[in-house]
Amino acid sequence: MTQTAADQAAVAPVATPGGRLERVLHNTGWTLVYLGVLTLGFVVHQLFITTWFAQQKQPELSAERISQWNQTEISDVVVEPATTIPGDGGTVPDGTPTTTGPPLVLKVESPPEPHAAFALIRIPKIDRLKDGWNVVEGVSVADLRNGAGHIPGTALPGQPGNSVISGHRTTWGMPFHELNILDPGDEIEVDTALGTSIYEVREIHIVKPTDLWVTDPRDGAWLTLTTCHPKYSARERYVVVAELVYGPNADVIAQMSP
Amino acid sequence: MMRRIYRLLPGPTSLRVTQAVILAAAALVALHLFYSWLGNAILDTGGAIG
Repeated sequence: MTQTAADQAAVAPVATPGGRLERVLHNTGWTLVYLGVLTLGFVVHQLFITTWFAQQKQPELSAERISQWNQTEISDVVVEPATTIPGDGGTVPDGTPTTTGPPLVLKVESPPEPHAAFALIRIPKIDRLKDGWNVVEGVSVADLRNGAGHIPGTALPGQPGNSVISGHRTTWGMPFHELNILDPGDEIEVDTALGTSIYEVREIHIVKPTDLWVTDPRDGAWLTLTTCHPKYSARERYVVVAELVYGPNADVIAQMSP
Repeated sequence: MMRRIYRLLPGPTSLRVTQAVILAAAALVALHLFYSWLGNAILDTGGAIG
């Protein structure tokens, strides 16, 4: 019995080993294409879309910062100058150190509202930060997507102690992308309700994300900037430590420091 | 695949198009949230200490 053309056509759709292989290759190929598109989308999203969102937010944060400054209460706090022992050989009744000079007046601002923009950080050496980037109070995920974040509980910029500010390195506006080009002696400026405080870079560290010692209080007035390191990884932290050299409280703090 | 999903949508063309637009928008939002979470987890946590 001979096969007709109709019989052959009826046989053709039956799966053959070759057909199965073809289908597997076809599906694998499309899966790889979809994965490739998703990966490319991830890169574009992280590098460009998050930064676009962060930049769109800056004018709103600037307005919020100005409003915050208008509401900030600034008070004068009287502090004692550093204790010294008179060097003229004069008699000190019980040998204890005595204070010298008139009392010093430190300008202190009321603490900012959580999550609110309250400062502007400028770094002349870094193009991205020449015009400044808003600093918000807090370092939650949402806070850091809006701007650089001040760690609550650390000193406010321009005040005695250690003011710690964190920021993204490669996404969400990447304000601290080029923190690694800073060298000792470079200036960092921070505007607050008090005025402009200028810091000079003194130390650079690369630490683990859990190295909390970088947030410890310090004598004098310091600014610590932290960001992810190396770029495109959250494995470590790049830390820049700067000392206050000019500002509304700089002279007073210099006389307070031991 | 997208064509297949579109064909599965019920109703006349105008309703299908509306549903497709809503689905696409929802997918984009979901993708944005997923990418944001993934980026925060592996690429850049924001640099905070602790």
